[in-house]
Amino acid sequence: MTSTNFDPRILKAPHPVPGAPDNWKRFLSFNTDAKVIGIQYIATSLLFLLVGGLLAMIVRGELITPPADLVDPTVYNGLYTMHGTVMLFLFLFPVLNGLNNLLIPTMIGAPDMAFPRLNAAAFWLVPVFAVLLMGSFFIPGGPAQAGWWSYPPISIQNPLGHFINGEQIWLLAVALSGISSIFGAINFVTTIIRMRAPGMGFFKMPLYCWTAWGAQTIQLIGLPALTGGAIMLLFDLSFGTSFFRPEGGGDPVLYQHFFWFYSHPAVYVMVLPVFGIFSEVFTCYARKPLFGYKFVALASFGIVFLSLIVWVHHMFYTGTPNWMRILFMFTTMTIAVPTGVKVFAWVATLWGGKLRLTTPMLFCLGGLLNFIFAGITGVMLGTVPIDIHVGNTYFVVAHFHYVIFNAIVLGVFAAVYHWFPKFTGHMYYEGLGKLHFVLTFVGCTLNWLPLHWAGLLGMPRRVASYDPEFAIWNVIASIGAFMLGVAAIPFILNMVSSWARGPKSPPNPWGAIGLEWLLPSPPPAENFEDDVPTVINNPYGYGLCQSQVVDEEYYIQRAKEA
Amino acid sequence: MTTTTNKKGPNIRAIVIISVAVALNLLVAFQMARWSYSWFPPQASSAAPYVDDLFALETGIGSFLWFGLTGVIGWTLLFNRAPKYDESYGEPIEGNNRLEITWTVIPTVIVFAIAIYSMQVNDKLEALGPKHKYAIGSDPVAVAAVDPRATVGPIDVIARQWSWEFIYPDGVRSSELHLPINQRVNFRLISEDVNHSFYVPAFRLKQDIIPGSVISYSLTPTREGRFRLRDAMFSGAYFSNNQTDVIVESPESFSSWLKTTAKKPLQPGLSPGSELYAKRLATGDKGWATVPPAPAPMVNDPGDASIPHDA
Amino acid sequence: MTSSDSSLQLNHTPGQVKHSGHNLTGFVIFLCSESIIFLAFFAGFSLFKLTSPEWLPPGVDGLDIKMPLINTLVLVSSSFVAYVAERYLHKGNLWGFRIVWLITMLMGTYFVYGQYVEWSGLEFGLSSGVFGGTFYLLTGFHGLHVITGIGLMGLMLYHSFRPGNYDKGEMGVTAVSLFWHFVDVIWIILFVLIYVWQRY
Repeated sequence: MTSTNFDPRILKAPHPVPGAPDNWKRFLSFNTDAKVIGIQYIATSLLFLLVGGLLAMIVRGELITPPADLVDPTVYNGLYTMHGTVMLFLFLFPVLNGLNNLLIPTMIGAPDMAFPRLNAAAFWLVPVFAVLLMGSFFIPGGPAQAGWWSYPPISIQNPLGHFINGEQIWLLAVALSGISSIFGAINFVTTIIRMRAPGMGFFKMPLYCWTAWGAQTIQLIGLPALTGGAIMLLFDLSFGTSFFRPEGGGDPVLYQHFFWFYSHPAVYVMVLPVFGIFSEVFTCYARKPLFGYKFVALASFGIVFLSLIVWVHHMFYTGTPNWMRILFMFTTMTIAVPTGVKVFAWVATLWGGKLRLTTPMLFCLGGLLNFIFAGITGVMLGTVPIDIHVGNTYFVVAHFHYVIFNAIVLGVFAAVYHWFPKFTGHMYYEGLGKLHFVLTFVGCTLNWLPLHWAGLLGMPRRVASYDPEFAIWNVIASIGAFMLGVAAIPFILNMVSSWARGPKSPPNPWGAIGLEWLLPSPPPAENFEDDVPTVINNPYGYGLCQSQVVDEEYYIQRAKEA
Repeated sequence: MTTTTNKKGPNIRAIVIISVAVALNLLVAFQMARWSYSWFPPQASSAAPYVDDLFALETGIGSFLWFGLTGVIGWTLLFNRAPKYDESYGEPIEGNNRLEITWTVIPTVIVFAIAIYSMQVNDKLEALGPKHKYAIGSDPVAVAAVDPRATVGPIDVIARQWSWEFIYPDGVRSSELHLPINQRVNFRLISEDVNHSFYVPAFRLKQDIIPGSVISYSLTPTREGRFRLRDAMFSGAYFSNNQTDVIVESPESFSSWLKTTAKKPLQPGLSPGSELYAKRLATGDKGWATVPPAPAPMVNDPGDASIPHDA
Repeated sequence: MTSSDSSLQLNHTPGQVKHSGHNLTGFVIFLCSESIIFLAFFAGFSLFKLTSPEWLPPGVDGLDIKMPLINTLVLVSSSFVAYVAERYLHKGNLWGFRIVWLITMLMGTYFVYGQYVEWSGLEFGLSSGVFGGTFYLLTGFHGLHVITGIGLMGLMLYHSFRPGNYDKGEMGVTAVSLFWHFVDVIWIILFVLIYVWQRY
């Protein structure tokens, strides 16, 4: 049974840069090691979390009082546009690609990604478009001001008439980000399909890989549609076409279709890996197998499929014909079902476990609570009559921040803490981690829970000023936002000081199951190199007295001795 | 909500606890649903009660789920914590197909029930009429569809960066929208520059206005008062100021308003963006680029932005 | 399963197996993804054609179909020629491959030339309404792919002179020829949408 399972696929990818320098300088170089690239991604994106957060705090500072008194309304519009853009394209996508880089090869026992050089190229595009985007603050007329949707005709109005303008740079940056994401997606999907350890069938694969696979599939299908729309928008803006320009017979609503065909699923690109993180973290700290592994795994692809056929729910009030509204309402509601399967599975996993409330577990629990809440408001938004009232109000802002920050970012923090010892070789400080969690959880609840009511009362999103009846909700929200700013301090302190002088981490500090935990901390350049374990069980055998791989003791010993 | 797989046979205590918890949860959910009515502005159109009922239903179901799930998670946090230095495992349950099917089927039924109910509510709103494209420069009114069941209108609603103009069938122009109570009104929604949205929270209705298309839209106001009409689709620099009021009044005062207003001369109407833009120019044109506001519409009734609104 | 006494020995040989088709997998994924951009453009084109209040710009009454048809025939047949070249390579006839491969490239070049001639004879431009925009966008974006394809074929031709180029398989040629077929299929759809559909 043991060695007959050997699968002859082998996992030694060509490695163009042998013997990369083993010091911090490798993080500033064109390194092709997935683990270096992963950390490059995560460090860069956390830097931009600070930038985006700073922009958000100026926005919340403006909104703490009803009139537009802190900055000019045009500046406000530019700030919130850049806030959204930075958070999505410079924080969330890169940070998740960073986790993919760290986790996918180590979890499936591959020495590296399928295309290491493409991988490095994908990363190095990030600083390039980051510089572009940040540079657009300093050009005449300021950065893009049309929101991260960039709906025409407002986005192609180009008030100064310059050829080079904020909107154009924004479009170029988004296009580069798209190219980077496609490079990444090709790489991740190929790696998952072709480079799994011997014996690791799809149903023995960790859930993070399932969800990352699903998410990257969405990238591959959705992103090109957005790219198509963005090319047309760029032509309208800069080369005088009129695809979306009503004066030339164009149709502004068509852009919305292109945009949402990608940008709704884009939320699932971000949330699916976090579902994977939940599955890894809950099982590890509840000391129980994942409840219904196969259902949870397959539900990921249920979500992928459904996510591609729901986009019109963003356009219920744009004059979309009634039959189309009804059709897309039904598909939208259906997506609650596979998502529900996952949520119930996590709750059942927790039930009767031996819970250890470490920092990653706390972040995941907080994220799960918020995600359930966001799912409920999501179903509300999916029903046409309610969406007609609350669409484009603060209810939507609150809902998607509940998804994106309160669930996804909390999940990302959980992942950063959970795998920090593995990839840096040092333990983080639990006390600072818990402080970070408390500040984050309280801050994000204060920030976005009240805004639901502002939206129900009819406060439109993207406003620089508002009627005084909404003031109370906005004051609470702003306090929450500033609290989130404060929460960054213990996080940064923890990360920097732990990496510099934190206690050394053993290979498997959490008693977790998974190939990555059979590697030394931090793992060597090519992970298992030629000695890849043969997988015989799924990675959630907590308490089942089974080993995940053949000769598990050998790998455990080897990791300890390294 | 329930996973009592580790007990042999029916456990009376567990059943009692679960029943009490479910009953409590139902009570809380019901209260939340009732409470949800107070989260809205007053109901000022025939659509509003339907929307609020649907929202209350979803709040009830959502609350039941939320409190149920958080209750279970809270229970595990209280009673399933590992003591310090306890390295043991929880009971290794790998799944339960019957449970999986249950929590696939029941949510499916629930969301489909909600969707079907929403579909019926949507039919009752009867707000959105046909949308017709026209070439910019030609007359949008020529292609617009008229709602035969409306007794008032069609009123042309023209949204601009950043002002509203309402043109009544007899040519009266106004910066504020006056409507008679309990009569179905038909609008032709027209934009000459960018996307806007016709949104009156008290009516619970919103419709984007798309340049290059004319959209027929109808509603029935049911409550007298002065309600806020907000542009809800981002439209540039002074977007947040692009608001005006809808005045719902008795048919008598409406017709007398029409009569007196028709006699008034045309004068510049509300144009909140213009003032702010003038102020910006006067203080050195600081800030990032914006298109200048459209000139204030010439109207018979310029309205009064200083009168407080009801909702 | 695992007994502790065997713990520090390898009881499975770490094998060094050549995995073929790894790059090809990535390339096929890329092509699938790339096709969605075209799909988006096609969807946009169809929607515009069906709903625009004014479709053709003033003074234009349609596109001439004769020359594009010849062009289409050349491009479509070049796909078969590329296949023949691939067969030659597979059988080890290196010179046969090079010559037929070159013929494919020439056919592609003729197509690009034909496009150039057509473009320069048109009386509408990029900014002539939605029709002009979509026409140039679709044909231009496709033309870019054709030029890329010819470039890649040139690269493969150049590589074929390197000694031992095909020791590790013919992945590059397979991928480029796949790309060429892809460009071809896209053109057929494009031709039907832009040139054939205008008659109905």
